[in-house]
Amino acid sequence: MRMKKMRADVQALMFLLPFLVVYVLFTIWPMIKGVEMTFYKWTLIKKMDFIGLDNYRQVLQDREVWEALWHSAIFVVLTTPTMIVLSISLALIANRQSVLQKFYRSIFFIPSVLSVAVASYLGLFVFQPYTGLVNSILHLIQMLPGDKEIFWLTERSLAWIVITLITLWWTVGFNFILHLSAIQEIPDEIYEAAKLDGANDNQIFWRITLPYLTPITKTIMMLQIIASFKVFMQIYIITGGGPLDQTRPIIQLIYQTGFRKNNLGYAATMSYLLFVILLVLSALQYWVNNRKGAEDR
Amino acid sequence: MKKRSIGVTAMTLLLSFSMVLSACGGNGNSGNKANGNNNAAGVGSEESASGDSSGEKVSLSFWTMFDGGDGANMQSLVDEFNKTHSDIQVKNTKLAWGEYYTKLITAVGNGNGPDIGISHSSRLPDLINQGVVTDLDTVATDAGVDWNTFNQNLLDATVVDGKHYAVPIDTHPFIMYYNVKLLKEAGLLGDDGKPVMEQSADGFLNFLKTLKEKLPAKVTPFALANANDDPYRLWWALYSQLGGNDLISDDLTTADIDMEKGIQAADYIQKLFTEGYIKKNDPDFYKNFQSGTAAIMMTGVWATGTWESTKDFEFGAMPIPKIYDQEATWGDSHTIILPTPKKEDSAKRKAAITFANWVADNGQIWAKAGHIPSKPSVLEKQEFKDMPYRSDYASVASTVKFNKPSVKTAQIRDNVSFKFLNEVWANKMTPAEAMDKMQKDVQKTLDE
Repeated sequence: MRMKKMRADVQALMFLLPFLVVYVLFTIWPMIKGVEMTFYKWTLIKKMDFIGLDNYRQVLQDREVWEALWHSAIFVVLTTPTMIVLSISLALIANRQSVLQKFYRSIFFIPSVLSVAVASYLGLFVFQPYTGLVNSILHLIQMLPGDKEIFWLTERSLAWIVITLITLWWTVGFNFILHLSAIQEIPDEIYEAAKLDGANDNQIFWRITLPYLTPITKTIMMLQIIASFKVFMQIYIITGGGPLDQTRPIIQLIYQTGFRKNNLGYAATMSYLLFVILLVLSALQYWVNNRKGAEDR
Repeated sequence: MKKRSIGVTAMTLLLSFSMVLSACGGNGNSGNKANGNNNAAGVGSEESASGDSSGEKVSLSFWTMFDGGDGANMQSLVDEFNKTHSDIQVKNTKLAWGEYYTKLITAVGNGNGPDIGISHSSRLPDLINQGVVTDLDTVATDAGVDWNTFNQNLLDATVVDGKHYAVPIDTHPFIMYYNVKLLKEAGLLGDDGKPVMEQSADGFLNFLKTLKEKLPAKVTPFALANANDDPYRLWWALYSQLGGNDLISDDLTTADIDMEKGIQAADYIQKLFTEGYIKKNDPDFYKNFQSGTAAIMMTGVWATGTWESTKDFEFGAMPIPKIYDQEATWGDSHTIILPTPKKEDSAKRKAAITFANWVADNGQIWAKAGHIPSKPSVLEKQEFKDMPYRSDYASVASTVKFNKPSVKTAQIRDNVSFKFLNEVWANKMTPAEAMDKMQKDVQKTLDE
């Protein structure tokens, strides 16, 4: 028996080995190397001087870092709840028995096959002054006088709105698919029973559909928070972090510090700060979910 | 059964390992292919080994960042060189512009850098500081390069601590373009085909004022970007015309903006925006000028090639007006550098600098894109003179005001100057406030 078990273990290990080697080489090792970097003044070319905890000391006092983190947090707050509401709403629409069902499904999903650069440039064209779609429409319906323009991308608050809208449009498709399949998993009998009991649409949604969607919604929320914290490309393309760095997220600052300012050690330190924040957030959410689960039981 | 399954496992394992390994091999191959792409068929990929030992043919790898017209012109320079030099072969590898410097620095750091590279003169101090480029004095003497044949102003920007670090092949300064038809319509085109304008602060303003009054409302008098490079270049030019002495002190350690001059220059440009001579937030000022809806525009000389290839487009080019005391404009240079090699190879270095000097000597090919050649002798060549427009602004090469050789130049420009000046152009910050904040942030950047 023992022989058999051992043989199975060896077999499993052999199957895992190739992946393990690659994983250690390209994920674990760089992570260790990254920690090492944080203790040095380290440029693109070489390790320079050992500076101990200086990078950590600096990162805690660096206003730019905290501002950039704050901007990433703003983005999380702007996108996560709206994303979930939007994704559920679209899933409900696409789940309706209608001739347009297939049309809805593809039209909601299509933007997410675009690359971030394409989505961002489309957004730029839509929101740019003079020739952009939005301003042109506003001119057309005379919401905006002909000689006035709205500068969507150079006003801080408007820029945030644009970034949020483009991101939602571009990424909602994936979450929408998750929600749609979860909706379709809900047994029909439950709806039938509810109808027999005289429940109205409102009650059905709040008491049946939504609770059934809770597990997947939690997962989506988790993924969304992490993804949103890591936002970079669309902001980089749309506003470049401007005006006055007021939309610059933490990843952009890390990128600038590492590759433009040639200070990889400090950039690595910022990355680990972000890593710790995300870790705490995940742990917190995991803990909350588990506790809830225990209470339900 | 058991035995067989172990066999299968072992096979799988081997297979997966070989796949991993072959993936690596595949990368290596494709890398070689990319390097060899531009090489003539038959010239072996085993460049250096055979070339050096026999002493017959030296193969050189050359990394560039040019695309579009620049890329095509550089390729024809390389082809022409290879044709006329039987003992040297240069292989041109084009890298994406956005990643060029990062790749160059890391590759040289790993000992895998090219034999020849390109650098802007503004980036040289940084590359020198990191040990990416080597000085050229000994090898230049060996190869018989005469530094006196270069434009002194461009050459000075490549000399750090008394040593030559690069061979300048051009300068690409900030100049002014004008639409001939629109200027004629406004009555501002002289009989010589040049704009009628008094070269002073008021003169240029009056010129714009007339354009605005005489031309239809939909025509922009002055097309300019609303942020980053081009308005910054204009500011730098005016600041230099006023005698402003860079943003840092001569010893390169402290922020030293000439406040009054910086404010005066920024204030002048801010007014051009707020008084409606420049279209606010122009989404594409190149297109605005190119489609004939803007009377003048300012940008780097590289636009010349673009305007030339635009159908039915009548334009002129000239140095930017002398608005203040002395002629000056923004500019940078492309230079050829010899990156630090893993192993010194004097034959390669000599061949490389021969190539660099040859490229500078044949600047008439490079000038097709609009750049001003680095050797005054090229300006005398008939081929150069036959090209329109270039001669109208070639004199600018001597009045370009380069940055001081600080390792932080690029950072200061991208992360400090752009940021605050953009706010001035958007009329959200006063020039005085912007200069004040720039001074502080320049100091912070220098201290980092």
